[in-house]
Amino acid sequence: MPELSRRDFLKLTTNTLLTASGLLGFGALFRFLGYQTEPLPQTEFDLGPASNYPIDSRTLLSKIPALLLHTDEGFSALSLVCTHLGCTVEPKESGFTCPCHGSKYDAEGSVLNGPAQKKLNALRVEVTTDGNLILHTD
Amino acid sequence: MYRRLLFIGSALLLVVILFAWQQSSRAPKPISLTPTLSGQPEYCLTCHADLPEISKSHPLQTFGCVSCHGGERLALNADLAHSNMRGGANPSDLSVVEMSCGGTSCHSGSEAENRDHIQRVMTSVQSTYAGAIANIRFTFGAQPDLNAYFGINAIKDEQTHTGITALSAFEPATETNSMIQKFGENCLTCHINAAPREEEAYARQTGCAACHATEQHKLTTAIPYTQCNACHNRGNYDLRSMTFVERADQPATRIQDYYQPIAQFTRCEYTLDCVDCHTRNEVMGDGDIHANQKDIQYVQCQTCHGTINQLPQTKTITGPNDIALKMEFLNPVSNLKVGDTILVTEKGEPLWNTRVLPNGTYELIGKATNLRFNFRPVMGTACEQKPDQQGSQYCHTCHAVER
Repeated sequence: MPELSRRDFLKLTTNTLLTASGLLGFGALFRFLGYQTEPLPQTEFDLGPASNYPIDSRTLLSKIPALLLHTDEGFSALSLVCTHLGCTVEPKESGFTCPCHGSKYDAEGSVLNGPAQKKLNALRVEVTTDGNLILHTD
Repeated sequence: MYRRLLFIGSALLLVVILFAWQQSSRAPKPISLTPTLSGQPEYCLTCHADLPEISKSHPLQTFGCVSCHGGERLALNADLAHSNMRGGANPSDLSVVEMSCGGTSCHSGSEAENRDHIQRVMTSVQSTYAGAIANIRFTFGAQPDLNAYFGINAIKDEQTHTGITALSAFEPATETNSMIQKFGENCLTCHINAAPREEEAYARQTGCAACHATEQHKLTTAIPYTQCNACHNRGNYDLRSMTFVERADQPATRIQDYYQPIAQFTRCEYTLDCVDCHTRNEVMGDGDIHANQKDIQYVQCQTCHGTINQLPQTKTITGPNDIALKMEFLNPVSNLKVGDTILVTEKGEPLWNTRVLPNGTYELIGKATNLRFNFRPVMGTACEQKPDQQGSQYCHTCHAVER
């Protein structure tokens, strides 16, 4: 095995260091380019087949949060986000109550007493051609 | 020479890249929360997930941390994350409270909606200390009367009902009398802008948290007397030396702990907590600048007990927007509802933790203790107290408790 001269050793080591730096640099570059920003809040929710929600049903969708209503007139939904500061209101027998500051809404989402000033937001419900329900919160 | 430099350079480059990689790998994996109120993600829970929720009215999912505390919401480095927090760990400090707790939907809304908490606190004697300053300046000849001219901070009240439209900031260093200077040095820890004296007995925070934070990262309106006693009844100011003299006794029971040994009191005065009788306008201010504590504190024994020829004032709750219901909502100890009749003060403030019972007696539920107390009016009893003598000293003549 031929002996490695000092010059060749330095050259080999330098090349190795530069290669390692280059690879790490590329790694960092890919990591930078592949950085995932926080996803935007979801505004579309697939609720599954419309047939799962019979007429006169009121379905609490706590993860959204919303209340899905199915009446003779079709599907509708109410946001359960209190219009005062954004707490999630709780469905009660005759309407909704905010557990944070006590606002009360009737069953249609209109304000019965404050501090909320505006009624609960109505949300758009879409029935797709294949019979699925899509709820839009934007 | 060139090869040697290239070798050193490449080695340094690798070291720098490895260091940067290692630093970036050490950052914790962020825990993200997007509160409903701001709609912007924040990473505070990465380190602070163990803190208790601050109150039922400020749920984490709605408020997050940054709405109140400020800070750099996406920083994972502690120094950077905390670099622009409001009031350090206490966003209710009065120097930043408007930014943290204010806003028309929160605590600096209109008086009509009972949402003017910050305005009332800022002008209250708890905050201005105007009476003490006026008394000392008058006593030592720096002002001709006992009117309030100075507060801890400059403050204006253009819609005053007391005639005091503004206070200038009290600056002890500009006073010429040495006793007033000493007062400034030794006696200005008894207002909610100031950091408390050292020692556990005085432990409290500043601003709103001085009264409402009874535990770490908890806000409440169920305030026990011990919270009030962090300032009150801890000792006296010696006006000759202008220093604070701590009470020397060792209270072993509530009756001893509540007041200083010199005080007289009735059973309800030490059994109840301060907030069971004293109203929010007395304690937090009524929105006007007052010159003295006695100008704002007005609840007396007769407020609940009446006099020999007059029953205490009452009102029936007629609608869901009654302020009494809103106050009870924050501390639901009495299950108050529309149709209930409660006691009210001479100024019409609801004593929402009371109720008039069908048999003509009254019930009070302790806001901090949840204990129920039944009591009756003076009228119709053997009491002979003159109606125009209703200060507590007169009631103490017969009803003071030995201790």
